[in-house]
Amino acid sequence: MMEVFLAGLDAALRVDTFVWISGGLLLGMLMGSLPGFTTTMGMSVLVPISFLVGDPLIGIPFLIGVYKGGIYGGSVPAILIAMPGTGASIATVFDGHELTKQGKSRKALEMGLYASVISDFFSDIFTLVMIVPVGAIVLGFGPPEIASVMFLSLVIIAVTSTGPVMKGLLMLCLGIWFGFIGADPFSGAARYTFGTNQLYDGFHLIPMLIGLFALPEIFNAVKEGDQSNSRIATFVGKHLEFSEFKKSLRTIFRSTAIGTFIGLVPGLGQPIAAMMGYIAAKNSSKTPEKFGKGELDGVAGAEAANNAVNGPTMVPLLTLGIPGDAVTALLLGAFMMQGLRPGPTLLETNGEVVFAILIAMVVANILFLIIGYLTIPLFTKVVTIKRSLLIPVTIMLAFAGTYLARSNPFDIVTLIGFGLVGIAARTAKFDVAPMVMGFILGRELEYSFGQTLALAGDDWLHFAFVERIGMTAVVLATPIIGIFLGVRMNRFRQKAAAGEQG
Amino acid sequence: MRIYRDANFFVGIFLFLGFFSSNAVSEEQFPEKPITLIVPYAAGGSSDLNARVFASFLDDYLGQPVLIKLVPGQAGQKGTLEAVRSKPDGHTLLFTDNYRDQLHRYTFRNSAYDTNTDLVTVARVNYGAIGIIVRGDSIYETWVQLEAAAKLRPGGVTMSHSGLWVAFFVPAIQVMKDLDLQLRMVPYRGGGPAKAALLAGDVDMSMAFPSTIAADAEAGRVRILATAGSERLIPNVPSFVEIGLPPTTGFMHRVVMAPTGISEKRLMTLRKAFSRMQQEQGYQRMMNRLGENTEYLDGTAYEAVRVQQSSDYRELAGSLFSQ
Repeated sequence: MMEVFLAGLDAALRVDTFVWISGGLLLGMLMGSLPGFTTTMGMSVLVPISFLVGDPLIGIPFLIGVYKGGIYGGSVPAILIAMPGTGASIATVFDGHELTKQGKSRKALEMGLYASVISDFFSDIFTLVMIVPVGAIVLGFGPPEIASVMFLSLVIIAVTSTGPVMKGLLMLCLGIWFGFIGADPFSGAARYTFGTNQLYDGFHLIPMLIGLFALPEIFNAVKEGDQSNSRIATFVGKHLEFSEFKKSLRTIFRSTAIGTFIGLVPGLGQPIAAMMGYIAAKNSSKTPEKFGKGELDGVAGAEAANNAVNGPTMVPLLTLGIPGDAVTALLLGAFMMQGLRPGPTLLETNGEVVFAILIAMVVANILFLIIGYLTIPLFTKVVTIKRSLLIPVTIMLAFAGTYLARSNPFDIVTLIGFGLVGIAARTAKFDVAPMVMGFILGRELEYSFGQTLALAGDDWLHFAFVERIGMTAVVLATPIIGIFLGVRMNRFRQKAAAGEQG
Repeated sequence: MRIYRDANFFVGIFLFLGFFSSNAVSEEQFPEKPITLIVPYAAGGSSDLNARVFASFLDDYLGQPVLIKLVPGQAGQKGTLEAVRSKPDGHTLLFTDNYRDQLHRYTFRNSAYDTNTDLVTVARVNYGAIGIIVRGDSIYETWVQLEAAAKLRPGGVTMSHSGLWVAFFVPAIQVMKDLDLQLRMVPYRGGGPAKAALLAGDVDMSMAFPSTIAADAEAGRVRILATAGSERLIPNVPSFVEIGLPPTTGFMHRVVMAPTGISEKRLMTLRKAFSRMQQEQGYQRMMNRLGENTEYLDGTAYEAVRVQQSSDYRELAGSLFSQ
């Protein structure tokens, strides 16, 4: 295997490969930063280019560049205008935009970039080194295990929400209920659709996110008008300091591990990784009460987790021929077009090319850092734009992005509806973050739990305690973990309350 | 890039230009503007990839670009409705398959359109013949053994599928109906995760298009027990007819359709373009690399296939929903 690896290294170090990767990264960042234009859509449009380029060491690294750039690019509008560019940036908006309002947008963007690059780099190295041994192991994590982890995550969110417990719990339940709307994934029966076809697919994530986060911001900005005492900063602020970065290093590595694991499991994807990275960062923090109010660690936790997914999705794709999501399905097509057939024989027959692609993927992170760093000043110009110009543009982006995502006029209704929910929640001092978490994780829990029930059949005792003991262990440990984290969070709540009084 | 591919953008430009050009566009000039191909599937699926391959070749034979417009949602009904409601001038086409075209009318009971009267076939681009698969080390060596096990314990054999009423699910319910079996169906999000479940040993059997698991079959990780059709596709692997299924079961036809009302002349122009495209070697090579065949079927010939499917699926739906 070592000679193949070295031959791959030799093949990967080509100037044109890296020129194409740079192009892909830049395109990906631009597309990702356009709200509503997701990485999947970007790659779907660009995939014919890789078909036409006859060389696998150009076409595929180009698409990988788009993939990496797109997942990072989504964080830019999330931080600057509270509009997640893609679903992957869902948790970046929680703290990222608060930082922008405090005049720390440069710090937030830089933290997002460094966290993305570092996590991408280490997860790519993991992929490169572990692709041979880890291949078959990933299959051990099926629907029962996913269901148990989703259950645990929801319990953790419930007990550790910032602010009053009942408010957090209510929003979480509301989010879970929103997730139920639409066709039942097992029977196809319509639920809460009021007989309309529009709700058959349920609410789409992108308009929901833009509505919940961006519209209330726009509403507030309009309400405050051009008052000079506006609480919204109009400066980009200082660079990220090394001490701040160092403080988040643990979070970055924790989220990298979470993201890497989620990438290995086919079908989970970046939004779930980002959410879990964020939750883990909050629960390990010494100041969890600051999360959601502009904590750099929150940006790091979310951004590191979503980018760490990218590399490891290649493991099930290349070794088993299993695309876990739409992006990897497109990559599968790109590989096949170059005459490379992902699956158990790929490493034997075309090991050199595969290693070359993986090595290019690792080295691409250096370009990722440079290009990302150079584009930040460009993006941060948004903050200094006069409000009277920025607000109309933001409104346009919100509506255009919503329509762009699925070309579905009903999504506009979703956007406005959730915009009103967001404004009402903010006025009543409810945090919408648990609602979004409930929406995403609740749907996943329902699906994987339904699969688990179908798999278990009648002999569920044997299934739970013999075949799937891992699932049962997580479920049994959940109350203990929940109580422990809940008590810990309560201490911080009291501390915060005492701080406010004193 | 997006704006280049966005059909609306082009339509807008051409409408704008239309004001300045002569209004009298003769029928001979068809197509006079880019053609929009509505793809009612989500980005990244095999249908998306298929469409992108043939759309990039079709340009040369139509003299106009073919723009892909993804309109996913409601199991394909949204995109189909959009195509049905578009102007039947041949500039808007629909990429669909036999399940969405003929089966979903019974399973979703959509009253907004009727595919039989609202859509006419331009061409069948290609088809996939499904195979029944088990893991390489499965205790089921042959279909006969698996069938016996399923008969012995109704619901005891589990099968992973890629979603309700599509590629793997429909052949499975046809197998259950025709062979009087009861399989325990476990849904997964797409063919990839469904295959992962089989490889992990979470389920006993699955279905797959043989091209997508060829590498696994060679490596001995997957065993193919039967393939669709009346002929054997793989030596020593029985066909569906041999195991007692009708010869039409398990075929997914990828079809391009136009809204009814299109003039005969324009329909012929489109059919001719597809027929000439499928002879091009570059196109065949690209499709083969994707693991797809290029078994083109003329629109008129496919209309006859549609009639047969319609009665087959009516019977299938009748037996399912009468219970």
